[in-house]
Amino acid sequence: MNPMVETTGIEKRYGRTVALQDVTLAMTEGVTGILGPNGAGKTTFLRILATVMAPDNGGLRLLGMDPSTPEHRVDIRRRLGYFPQEPGLYPSFTGFEFVDYVAILKEMVDRRTRHDEVRRVLGLVGLTEVAGKKIKTLSGGMKRRVVLAQALLGDPDLLVLDEPTSGLDPEQRLRFRELLSDVSGHAAVVLSTHQTEDVAAVCNRVVVIHHGAVHFDGSTQALAELARGRVWLADGRAAGAVLSWRTADQRHRNIGDAPAGAELVEPTIDDGYLLLVGETGMKEAA
Amino acid sequence: MTTTWHADHDLLQAYVGGELDDAQAYSVEAHVLACDQCRRAMAPEVARDRLEGIWQETLDVLDRPRARPLERLLVRFRVKRSTARLLSATPSLQASWLTAVVVAVGFGALASHRSDSGLAFFLVLAPLVPVIGVAAAYGPGIDPAHELTVAAPISGFRMLLLRSVAVLAASVAVTGMASLGLAVVDWTAAAWVLPALALTGATLALSLVMSPERAGTCITVAWLAVVLIGWSATGDDLGAFRAGGQVTCAVVAAATAAVLARRHELFEVRSQQ
Repeated sequence: MNPMVETTGIEKRYGRTVALQDVTLAMTEGVTGILGPNGAGKTTFLRILATVMAPDNGGLRLLGMDPSTPEHRVDIRRRLGYFPQEPGLYPSFTGFEFVDYVAILKEMVDRRTRHDEVRRVLGLVGLTEVAGKKIKTLSGGMKRRVVLAQALLGDPDLLVLDEPTSGLDPEQRLRFRELLSDVSGHAAVVLSTHQTEDVAAVCNRVVVIHHGAVHFDGSTQALAELARGRVWLADGRAAGAVLSWRTADQRHRNIGDAPAGAELVEPTIDDGYLLLVGETGMKEAA
Repeated sequence: MTTTWHADHDLLQAYVGGELDDAQAYSVEAHVLACDQCRRAMAPEVARDRLEGIWQETLDVLDRPRARPLERLLVRFRVKRSTARLLSATPSLQASWLTAVVVAVGFGALASHRSDSGLAFFLVLAPLVPVIGVAAAYGPGIDPAHELTVAAPISGFRMLLLRSVAVLAASVAVTGMASLGLAVVDWTAAAWVLPALALTGATLALSLVMSPERAGTCITVAWLAVVLIGWSATGDDLGAFRAGGQVTCAVVAAATAAVLARRHELFEVRSQQ
């Protein structure tokens, strides 16, 4: 199967700061979760996939096309849905008007067909009832759903979502996961999130980016397996622990080289991820 | 109402197929509205997808939100509805922005009555109105949804041009109204028009290699420097607006238009960096 996203040794710098280095990945249909601490390079990577920015070096093919070619870039954008990390909205627009505005940007010319599509995506994210309300009157979660609705316009083949679930309540997150499951049958979805439970629930694959480089690429189970035999419970912070935190039952969950006789527990994605990124990841999870 | 005449099958088929002329169609329509028997006879003849289309069209008209005031105004000026919606998001076409422009050029016009340099003040200020408007029309940090615009298939340069033309038109209209209130009623009242075109063109041309925001700042500083240096060198506060200045502005406007036509692909290259 031909990859829908293919990066070969891509690099990006901001002045002297290296944001991405030698990132080589290939993705097909399904949901790929991107995990990493703040400043790891996730957003830079997603902005490159969304054709908002070009890499300084390396090869990039999206949906089988080269985005550095103007004609191909336009073709890719026609089949792309994008949820930026800091999506801006027009507060005086209604939800319908904003999604309609993006639909026009996406070259949906025929008004009636466009309006049908706008209603469809607003329905998908559960905003039909408030579509006529001004965005400035909507809650934070609703605003994020407006942004999600525009990303779903035209049933895209490549969906790039940068932290779409932050600000959503548990019920909305559940609905979001269902939505992704529906979309991911035919589309490549790249999802950056801080919610490891989102990754566990919807991602077929997880990529951990740290300091601009890929530190892990595999299944969610494989990420959890990284910590097998290295997670244990104790009454306090253990000596050999790389990371340790107090759990709800007042015991300490330790990750690292378990001492003999330690009370080992089943590792989770969180454990694997934290073990991988160390203390930076711990601060991120806190 | 008692009806004795009924439309035959061929006539109903012709009506449904849209083959009748207007007079015949209206006649059949009027009859069918009143005649239950003909309505029933016609129903199976109507294609389902056509009915569906009409129903969806009706739904859309009922369900569609009312266009925003700026959109309605633009549509009155024969701007396409979709283009009007794109323009309605332009930061420098919002009511608060236009109010600021009205106040600024209004004060400029009033100043021409207060002192000898008042006219020069207005003429120097007026061409900067569209420049600042263009600088505030498109770009990251200016447009909240800029990132979505960049990731969309629509050309970023086209968006900039569309918004710039609308901003230029609004600026010229507002400044033109203000110039009617100037203390003079000769050619000098319109001496800002060519400089406005030249500076706007130069801002757009510079936007090919830097952000419109930065381009607008550079052009504003350059314009003020040129005018003030010319003023101090010649002692003529209207020097930049006389024949030589007007010809120069016309040449700059034409040159920047040529640059934009030939090198607009640079805009996409820059915005990808």
